[in-house]
Amino acid sequence: MLEIKNLHVKITQEDKPILKGIDLTIAEGEVHAIMGPNGSGKSTLAHVLAGRDDYEVTEGDILWNGESILEMAPDERAAAGVFLAFQYPMEIPGVAGLTFLRTALNALRRKRGQEELTTPEFMKRVKEKSAALNIDVEMLKRPVNVGFSGGEKKRSEILQMALLEPTLCVLDETDSGLDIDALRIVSDGVNALRSPDRAMLVITHYQRLLNHIVPDKVHVLAQGKIQRSGGKELALELEQSGYAEFGEKAA
Amino acid sequence: MSVAVMKTKAELSFAESFDRVQDRLPGSPAVKQVRRSAANKFAELGLPHRRIEEWKYTDLRSAVKDALPVRVGDATQMTIADVIVALGPLAKLETHRVVFVNGRYRKELSSPDQLAGLEFEDLSSVLSSGNENAAGLASLTGRDDDAVLSLNTAYMTDGAVVRIQASSDLMKPLLIAHVRAGAEPGFTAVRNVIDVGAKASAQIIEAFVSLPGAAKEGQANAATQITVGDEAKVVHVKCAADTGDGITHLSNWMIRLGRETDYAGFQLTQGVSLARNQIFVAFDGEDTKLDLSGVFLGRARDHIDTTLVVDHAVPSCESRELFKGVLDDQSRGVFQGKIIVQQIAQKTDGKQMSQGLLLSPDAEFDSKPELEIFADDVACGHGATCTELDKDLMFYCESRGIPSDIARGLLIESFIGEAVEKIDDEPIAEAVMEFARGWLEKT
Ligand SMILES: Nc1ncnc2c1ncn2[C@@H]1O[C@H](COP(=O)(O)OP(=O)(O)O)[C@@H](O)[C@H]1O
Ligand SMILES: [Mg+2]
Repeated sequence: MLEIKNLHVKITQEDKPILKGIDLTIAEGEVHAIMGPNGSGKSTLAHVLAGRDDYEVTEGDILWNGESILEMAPDERAAAGVFLAFQYPMEIPGVAGLTFLRTALNALRRKRGQEELTTPEFMKRVKEKSAALNIDVEMLKRPVNVGFSGGEKKRSEILQMALLEPTLCVLDETDSGLDIDALRIVSDGVNALRSPDRAMLVITHYQRLLNHIVPDKVHVLAQGKIQRSGGKELALELEQSGYAEFGEKAA
Repeated sequence: MSVAVMKTKAELSFAESFDRVQDRLPGSPAVKQVRRSAANKFAELGLPHRRIEEWKYTDLRSAVKDALPVRVGDATQMTIADVIVALGPLAKLETHRVVFVNGRYRKELSSPDQLAGLEFEDLSSVLSSGNENAAGLASLTGRDDDAVLSLNTAYMTDGAVVRIQASSDLMKPLLIAHVRAGAEPGFTAVRNVIDVGAKASAQIIEAFVSLPGAAKEGQANAATQITVGDEAKVVHVKCAADTGDGITHLSNWMIRLGRETDYAGFQLTQGVSLARNQIFVAFDGEDTKLDLSGVFLGRARDHIDTTLVVDHAVPSCESRELFKGVLDDQSRGVFQGKIIVQQIAQKTDGKQMSQGLLLSPDAEFDSKPELEIFADDVACGHGATCTELDKDLMFYCESRGIPSDIARGLLIESFIGEAVEKIDDEPIAEAVMEFARGWLEKT
């Protein structure tokens, strides 16, 4: 279970507060969506969950399975099951995708007390998961994300997620830049990972994604706070009314 | 320069040693004469210092505190198993191998297969032989005002004299291994002279490595002349990968390229406290491709300098340089790249890049690219960058569970990989990468 309690966050280098008291609880097996206007702090929340040190938690706490993760380094959080699918996946020139995936997977397995995978075992998994996401394994021999289209980058994020088997999946605008076919592939990939022992936080600006990944709950984040929470019908309502009522201009 | 300067301890010691050891250095009377005038030249020049423009970042007069005992003979016990240990990643390669220990050829450790196309002699035998070639080999440098080369000529004990016959293909690389061994620190001067015939294809690796248990300190002065015939293809790699603490490595590459040659040179420098790698390239024929690249890794107070001069004296040649340095602690990297395009050298295509990756706020990278262009129809450019590890990329890796030290290693590898990939031979490139990994693991 993820419990975010009265979370206040500012940028480490500055005094500017971004998150001003977030309360949010997601139980295993649940999928929650966070929607909100641009600049409301959605990506900040996602990065803080993953442990980015550009942000400083000034008040409140984040508990994952009952324990605070605030003091944990990003790789320790990953070992504890946290995964962030980036809004803007990074390109790593000179590091082959397969090397990257294998390094990450084996590092996680060591930390989780599992045996490292042999090359054939690893390749078998990569092939399986890539096929489901319509990713050509040849592409993974190239440097991570370099020269990939927007959609390919997003699919490669979901591939990483599928391979690393996290228990808390945070997806930051995974739908942005996807055409309708890619959106379906990515959503199918995410839905395949839905399970009773996995919690998901799906961040999006548009309601469209939530037709495919149907959430248990929807929250509206604006001005650094959760302004409203409701069921999946809240997303449809926002689609109609926009974010104007939350004091920020609609996109 | 007629100003009388006080000689330093090291300068006096290098000059005085000559009288003591000259009789034991290999060479016919004619060679001894060449050595004597080089020693006199060095006594006159002294060690290069910062008031000489090309040496302003690397002041040998203040950096070289003392001269280690000059090595003349060597009787270090050594087995093939030792050589394999010393060679590290290079031992895995299938090569024609010639081994020098503390500057002396060791036939019993070498295996220069006598295959058609490859002729090998040890320099010491050639110098002593009295044939008319000997004095020529001794004085071949043509860079008479270079104090480091003068020292080399005065004291060189041995090296590889290699001729690769026209139109031959070596099939596997020639590995010239210079191994530092034994508990006594010393100054070693070696010279390799390589002649690649027209239309030949060759891969040549020069290694400067050490055996575990070797003295922590050491001074090496290495000169290599390589002449590449028309239409030949050469991959030339130098790995100065020592493991000591207090190693000085002074090297000179003098490269002459014929017409339509394809020459790629690469230099790795790591585990060296003070390095000056000089590269001089002269083009003798048109339509030639030159590719120079290198990786240097520094930590503690290491100082690693690469200084190259590429002289386009004929039209229609291409030159590429890419040098990458990873600098930790208080180490300092220096890159000076001078590209000269003579008036006659129209259609020259030259591009140069040097990049430093600083791992510590106290590390430093000084880059001085220089273009001297006298022709008008040319495409030349240069660039230099100095960066730190990308924090966003580090976070991306760590968020996938990769611990920060491994993430750092991955990103550093990717940084130097671009230069290592210039080595157009996968096993050699992989061996170079493995050296670098070994160095990184000790960070
Ligand atoms: N690293 C940062 N440095 C400076 N400002 C930042 C940084 N991260 C976020 N912000 C600011 O915080 C606010 C929230 O940004 P973000 O979390 O990216 O919003 P969203 O993802 O909802 O569009 C914005 O005003 C943004 O400019
Ligand atoms: Mg965002």
